[in-house]
Amino acid sequence: MRSEKLASWRLIEYTTIAVEITGSIALGLVVAGSILALLGYDPARGIFLLVFGGLRNPDYLLSRAAFIAMTALAFSIPLLAGVFNIGGEGQMYLGGLAALLAAVYSGNAAVAILAGGLAGAALGLIIGALKAYRDVNEVVSAIMLNLTLFYVIVYAITAELYDPVAPHESIKVPKGARLGVIRFGGLKLHIIFPLMLALVAVAYYLLYHTKLGYEIRASGFSPKAARYAGIDPKKTSVYSMVIGGFFAGVGGALNVVGFTYYIDNLLTCMYGMGFTGIGVALMGRNNPIGVALASIFFSMLVLGGSRMQMLMRVPKEVADTLSGVIIVALSLPYAYRMLISYIRIRRMVGVGAEQHS
Amino acid sequence: MELSSIVSLFILALSPMVPLLLGSVGEIIIEKAGVVNIGIEGVFLLSALTSAMVSFFTGSLPLAIFVGVITGLGVGAIFAVIGVYLRGDQIVAGVGINLLAYGIGVIALFKTWNVFGASPPVATIPKWVVAGHGVSPMAPISVIIAVLAWFFLFRTNTGLKLRACGEEPRAAEAMGVNVMRMRLLATMLGSSLMGLAGAYLSIDWVGQFTRQITAGRGFIALANVAFSGWNPITAIVGAFIFGFFEALAIYLSISYAQPTLGYVFRTIPYIGTLLVVMIFRSRGRAPAALAKPYIKE
Repeated sequence: MRSEKLASWRLIEYTTIAVEITGSIALGLVVAGSILALLGYDPARGIFLLVFGGLRNPDYLLSRAAFIAMTALAFSIPLLAGVFNIGGEGQMYLGGLAALLAAVYSGNAAVAILAGGLAGAALGLIIGALKAYRDVNEVVSAIMLNLTLFYVIVYAITAELYDPVAPHESIKVPKGARLGVIRFGGLKLHIIFPLMLALVAVAYYLLYHTKLGYEIRASGFSPKAARYAGIDPKKTSVYSMVIGGFFAGVGGALNVVGFTYYIDNLLTCMYGMGFTGIGVALMGRNNPIGVALASIFFSMLVLGGSRMQMLMRVPKEVADTLSGVIIVALSLPYAYRMLISYIRIRRMVGVGAEQHS
Repeated sequence: MELSSIVSLFILALSPMVPLLLGSVGEIIIEKAGVVNIGIEGVFLLSALTSAMVSFFTGSLPLAIFVGVITGLGVGAIFAVIGVYLRGDQIVAGVGINLLAYGIGVIALFKTWNVFGASPPVATIPKWVVAGHGVSPMAPISVIIAVLAWFFLFRTNTGLKLRACGEEPRAAEAMGVNVMRMRLLATMLGSSLMGLAGAYLSIDWVGQFTRQITAGRGFIALANVAFSGWNPITAIVGAFIFGFFEALAIYLSISYAQPTLGYVFRTIPYIGTLLVVMIFRSRGRAPAALAKPYIKE
């Protein structure tokens, strides 16, 4: 009886998750389709390109997925501890810059990735400590850092680190410090995608199989209960920000030493990935495995947006609109629960009525 | 620095003060009712867009301002339905609205003017000239709005009920206040002020719509809410201080007209804001029921 109840509870839980995710995607597509129709484009073709256009280049698709999976972890891990890290964007920028410099000076990819991660972690530490010990709203400090770093890095590349041959690009990562590409016959895959899977596994292990991971989840779930259990929720939230920032910084490093090998003077190679990561994290339900899957979906949207812009002359920002709607829709678990319980009650009442007649 | 340049800086600071003040006062009203809307930036952007469009096509400034305010009201209503009635996570929904607004802004720029970056100039509100600098009538108007908001929140019966919804919603309900409706109305009112700020950005200060027109000001306004201790009068001082950083950035980029250094100057408002919130701990306390959904028994 008990296991039956548990099984039925699980079924409801999984149905809710499935409804939440498909419902959010559907709502997003409806809004994006309406915008396209409103602008006078063929919505069916637009949506098709937006969703499937990115599949043409699987290597690029999976590589971009790797970067946004990192910013997604940067959002998820602090969120599990109860902190909103919307600073993944800036943490990624700084991680990319630190990795570039480390690669140039050391000529070693591992050193560069570590440097990127540490730079991101330092930013996470600042935001987390200000929140925990000075009561500074983490949303405010994160956005201020994102914007500051954007201009500082643009300055660094335009004024100091530019490539004399191609002034819109920074100096290049030396050949010896670049991450490689795996080839199977005619297909190729940048090594960053398998690396991302390994990092996701590390995050999963950390969250669900270590003491710190347990403390992070406990502090987010109930700071009061965590305190009774001898956990310091403030300190734990700072740790979660340091870890989150580390992942975002690694994401920037993977981008620079693993894919572009330079930073362009408008940071287009990283711009917006921090915010896409928030959508990825929410759709992945803050679980590293879910994050890995959702990162591929969002990468499809971003690449599909570019493809749509090329073929239909529609701004690729339709993809941003779509992600925005999906994020808003994912903020509504209660609404989906209501919907499901409403349908269940309707059905039960219906069954009851039939039995009576 | 000479005296005249200090005077210039103070007058220059009035322009960035307006959107920061209106945005903060709007957010204070919303937060006092127990809702947190971090989509200030998104409201700014959408209202700036609709105002610029109306100003461009009709040339009517009153209509442009009206449409900007209505845009804010509409976004506020949608946000309140999500955050209050459907109990959505307000921070997450706010992030989503900002992203959505950014996408809509760029798409509309392209569809309306066939450009990706900035619209052509639009008709703007005439300015007064004070010591050789243009000052918008919106500067004193925004200060008056802040004072009126203070009076409304702290000296009227409705204001008391509104604050009760943010502190002790159960007690408010017992007093006969409809908590959800009050939160909806507060969010709509506050967002209308943000809409006015958005209209100011495009049809007053900047004189056109650009995709980056908000430049983080929605978040600086959010910083000012905590800095002011949730008090609209103190928010005037805060908005002026934060506006001053922006004036300094503008002043320096004009004085040292060198494009690469310009990037460095642009960080001044953000670093300044960060330093201020780090150094001055907010004396005020956030409303007790902030961002907590109200569940009627």
